[in-house]
Amino acid sequence: MSTDSLTQDLTQRTENSSRELLARAFFFGCAFLSIVTTISIAVLLVTEAAKFFSITAPLVGVEGETATIAEFLTGTEWRPNFTPHEFGVLPLVSATLMITFGSALIALPLGVATAIYLSEYASERARSFLKPALEILAGVPTVIYGFFALMYITPALSTIFPDISFFNLLSASIVVGIMIIPMVASISEDAMSAVPDDLRQAGYGMGATKFDVSVGVVLPAATSGVVASFILALSRAIGETMAVTIAAGSQANMLNPLNPLGYFESGMPMTAAMVQLLHGDITGGGLAYRSLFAIGLTLFVITLAMNIVSDLVAARYREEYE
Amino acid sequence: MSTDARDAVEDGFGHVSRTVGTVFRYLLLVSTLVGIVTLGVLLVYVANDAIRPLTADPGWHLTFVLAFALPSLLVGGYLYRRDKSALFTGLNALGVPAVSLLFASAAAMLFVDVVPPLIWFAYVVAVAIPLVVLLATTRYSHRIPFLARVATLAAVTVASLGVVPGAIQSLPFVPQAWLVVAATLGVPVAGVAGTYADRRWGRRAAVSVAVAALVATVAAPFAGPTIGLDPLPATVLMALAGVPTAVYVGTVVVNQPERRVGLLLPLVVVAGALVGGAVVDALGFAGPQAWIDWQFLTSDHSNTPAEAGIYPAIVGTILLMVVVALASFPVGVGAAVYLEEYAPDNTFTRVVDVNISNLAGVPSVVYGLLGLGVFVRYGGMTPGTVVVGGMTLALLILPIIIISAREAIRSVPDSMRQASYGMGATRWQTVKNVVLPRSFPGILTGTILALGRAIGETAPLLMIGAPQIFDLPTALDARVGAMPLQLYVWATTFASPEFYTTALAAGVVTLLVAMLAMNSIAIVLRNKYQREQ
Amino acid sequence: MTRENMTDEASSPADGGDPTTDEMLVETSPTAGVSESDSGTAGGSRTLVEARNVNVWYDDDQALNDISLEIPENRVTAMIGPSGCGKSTFLRCINRMNDLIDAARVEGDLFLRNKNVYDDDVDPVALRRRVGMVFQKPNPFPKSIYDNVAYGLEIQDKEGDYDEIVERSLKRAALWDEVEDQLDESGLELSGGQQQRLCIARAIAPDPEVLLMDEPASALDPVATSKIEDLISELAEEYTVVIVTHNMQQAARISDKTAVFLTGGELVEFGDTQKIFENPDSQRVEDYITGKFG
Repeated sequence: MSTDSLTQDLTQRTENSSRELLARAFFFGCAFLSIVTTISIAVLLVTEAAKFFSITAPLVGVEGETATIAEFLTGTEWRPNFTPHEFGVLPLVSATLMITFGSALIALPLGVATAIYLSEYASERARSFLKPALEILAGVPTVIYGFFALMYITPALSTIFPDISFFNLLSASIVVGIMIIPMVASISEDAMSAVPDDLRQAGYGMGATKFDVSVGVVLPAATSGVVASFILALSRAIGETMAVTIAAGSQANMLNPLNPLGYFESGMPMTAAMVQLLHGDITGGGLAYRSLFAIGLTLFVITLAMNIVSDLVAARYREEYE
Repeated sequence: MSTDARDAVEDGFGHVSRTVGTVFRYLLLVSTLVGIVTLGVLLVYVANDAIRPLTADPGWHLTFVLAFALPSLLVGGYLYRRDKSALFTGLNALGVPAVSLLFASAAAMLFVDVVPPLIWFAYVVAVAIPLVVLLATTRYSHRIPFLARVATLAAVTVASLGVVPGAIQSLPFVPQAWLVVAATLGVPVAGVAGTYADRRWGRRAAVSVAVAALVATVAAPFAGPTIGLDPLPATVLMALAGVPTAVYVGTVVVNQPERRVGLLLPLVVVAGALVGGAVVDALGFAGPQAWIDWQFLTSDHSNTPAEAGIYPAIVGTILLMVVVALASFPVGVGAAVYLEEYAPDNTFTRVVDVNISNLAGVPSVVYGLLGLGVFVRYGGMTPGTVVVGGMTLALLILPIIIISAREAIRSVPDSMRQASYGMGATRWQTVKNVVLPRSFPGILTGTILALGRAIGETAPLLMIGAPQIFDLPTALDARVGAMPLQLYVWATTFASPEFYTTALAAGVVTLLVAMLAMNSIAIVLRNKYQREQ
Repeated sequence: MTRENMTDEASSPADGGDPTTDEMLVETSPTAGVSESDSGTAGGSRTLVEARNVNVWYDDDQALNDISLEIPENRVTAMIGPSGCGKSTFLRCINRMNDLIDAARVEGDLFLRNKNVYDDDVDPVALRRRVGMVFQKPNPFPKSIYDNVAYGLEIQDKEGDYDEIVERSLKRAALWDEVEDQLDESGLELSGGQQQRLCIARAIAPDPEVLLMDEPASALDPVATSKIEDLISELAEEYTVVIVTHNMQQAARISDKTAVFLTGGELVEFGDTQKIFENPDSQRVEDYITGKFG
């Protein structure tokens, strides 16, 4: 074989052939689309919300009715569709907070207990039934959860609490709690499975029971993963839309989050308010339309911050054990 | 634990700690089951509202218990004790026709109401021409420069799509709709069945299987009317449900003789249902007055609960899912391939990585805003159309698809890549020949699960301005509703006690069946895939 | 000679006036020549692969330390040494598989005939098409036996009668008689030893210049191992085989030349196999071979 043809062969640059470049460009473009999506969300929400506030509206060249940031953040009345317009986000925030807190009361303990059971106690057989069942729990469309709350849970609750209103935050909290259990359970279980077996062996070697090991060794060792799952699940609860829209009602009552009786009343969480706004004029670009984006931006910032914090916390347990 | 009675104190401690442990264990189990059982109870309630089994004649129940439930349970129990794998075969032989019937019905709806078969035929031919060119040039691909080949293909595709549909639609002779469908579905189905048979039983069997599949599909429009089916749906059902079921049963019979006994189960189930139905008819027992019935599934929305139906919403959901799948699958897999096989370890990659996991956590209602702003307000598209809805939902499930596809690609053993690179394969060749085929089942599972999520999404559709009351969508730019949207509208705009316990309950059951069908396919696929690895 | 001159010389091997290059092309280096006549191999053998001062780092850990050696054409060259000594790393330098590891950094020169494969203009993919590789664990693709063997031909868009090449490669890999009737079945359904021979058939189908084998028999049972060993000896008639093994008897049985790597990625001794095993120059090699350490 001639050495010239060898040199020629070895320097043919297959990586730069048009086929390779085309494939690489396509795959890169697909990955890049995710960045484009995020940027579009951020830019869209910020520019549209900017048209809503009086302080920023002149910057984006919008004239007409606007709301002040102070009014938005501290107002206690939400009345976007009737004059005089009121755009106080606090009633919406209060309802969102109460539902998030109520669903956390249900989902966090149950989710962690589920995670411990699945990772430490359950047989392979039990897991093979429970995990798909939990997946279905998370997979049921949220509009159906809302229907369940309205149709079956509220009537059941009214036999215990006769004062409860037809639309109420309690039933909404219950269904949201049920639907986020799988999220807490699966992420916590991953964290618990990542705890090295040496630690368990050490515990058993000291004469500890399975209970001691689960609660005293595994759970503390998996703390950061469990915390990450909490944050993520709460962020999901905040962003949850259809179930709360159907179950919690559409009256933007200003509620005191510290008063448990508020759970018997109806309220309008942020997401429900967004759906409600759509019944008005949506594409016209009026003030109500812009307030949609103001709430959307608030929601996006809150959930994004929670996701990032959750990522950072979760990264800690990965560093510890992997 | 020591059973030695000498040390009573130690025994006592052991006993106490075990009690705590046992209590704890059951507490955990109960906590695990709370959510699942609650959902189960709610499902029973809604099923009861939708089907109303108690409205049936006691004789009706008795007949079906005797003819259907009891024999099925007995056979199931017998199989369970004899051979569990045979029971699985039996359940699969029930599941395969059930699920494939579901999808075949979806396809049949599209052919009957949305895509006129002639237009379908025109586009199939228009797409087939460039495909044939592609296959023909593959053989000589090393002689033709790659870019020339791509350019030729692009030109042929554009020309074919531009000329062929119009030409075919202006043909003086219009073939029968069912004939068109039989040809366009029967040929590929026969091809797939033949390839499958070829891999298992060799060339000769493949030819007979393919011919049998084609004959069955062409014969279906003639056989359909005898059992009350129109020729067109009969053809679709035979091609997409009948043939797969027959192939599955054939595989069991030929390759797993020890499991053949499992086929008894579907036999008993079907025979029981038929016999039960005949007896009930003969004796005049009335069945349950279910809200979810043929009328409900095939009617339009109505302000009267008893007349309301969900048909436009079902067709809307099917169309949306087609758009979502076509838009999100290639892009999601492409992004996953880039991140796993191409991406260098640099800042950009890490940014994309973090970004995708955060996108997965963005509330669906915000995606709705994105669709509203980008497609409707700035893109100038009509609000609430199939395309806008489908693309918005596609963006929503894209991160889920990327994450699951990455996992599937990561599970391809590195030794496969090493072998391919060691042979002098380029990256693209390795991806195409080794990585994608090997990870395909996993990618498919993740995609189906993601579609199962998209099927239940309501908020984004509301945000992009999907109409509250909608007609049957017949084109991609038609305004569209979907099943969950219909439920929301019934639950809010038409809120009334009558709607809650009638059409709404029936709609909930319909949507749940669709979602559970998707999830169960994904779970079965995943179990099979994991067992194989 | 100054330091600069040495560098120059190393980086311009194709320079016709350079005596070292000529020698390399015509005849193996003096030491190698002596070994050959010792082992009784008829005729001289040209050097096919030559490493000059090859160093490899994984991040900050040095895996290979200044390796220089010459691998003769149509011979079996064995690399032995304790685990972690860098022998596999060296093997992967020859076809630049180390390029796939982000942390790996290679310095020095490695010539295939007269071309430095670490020159900027060399495409590692094109290089690997000329250098076949067989891995420690059999790794056939989840494709049919036929498609496995034809893989290299297909990715290179080679022309020719694939049926004939597949048959010839399987025959050379001593697998044809066993799989003749099942070419359409999956390569994964073969036994471990058959799978490894399938991988060998796959590697030789595109007719490479060099065949690298990374402990090809370590995952196999003794019977399959001896089949692979017989096969390697036969393959050396047509191919240049470089084999990494941790099994010293295996190296002694099948190789013409042996390189002994010891800890720290150091090449301690390289020469005729017989000499290495019977009368090594280095005390450390003798200790290793007689089992005193390693």
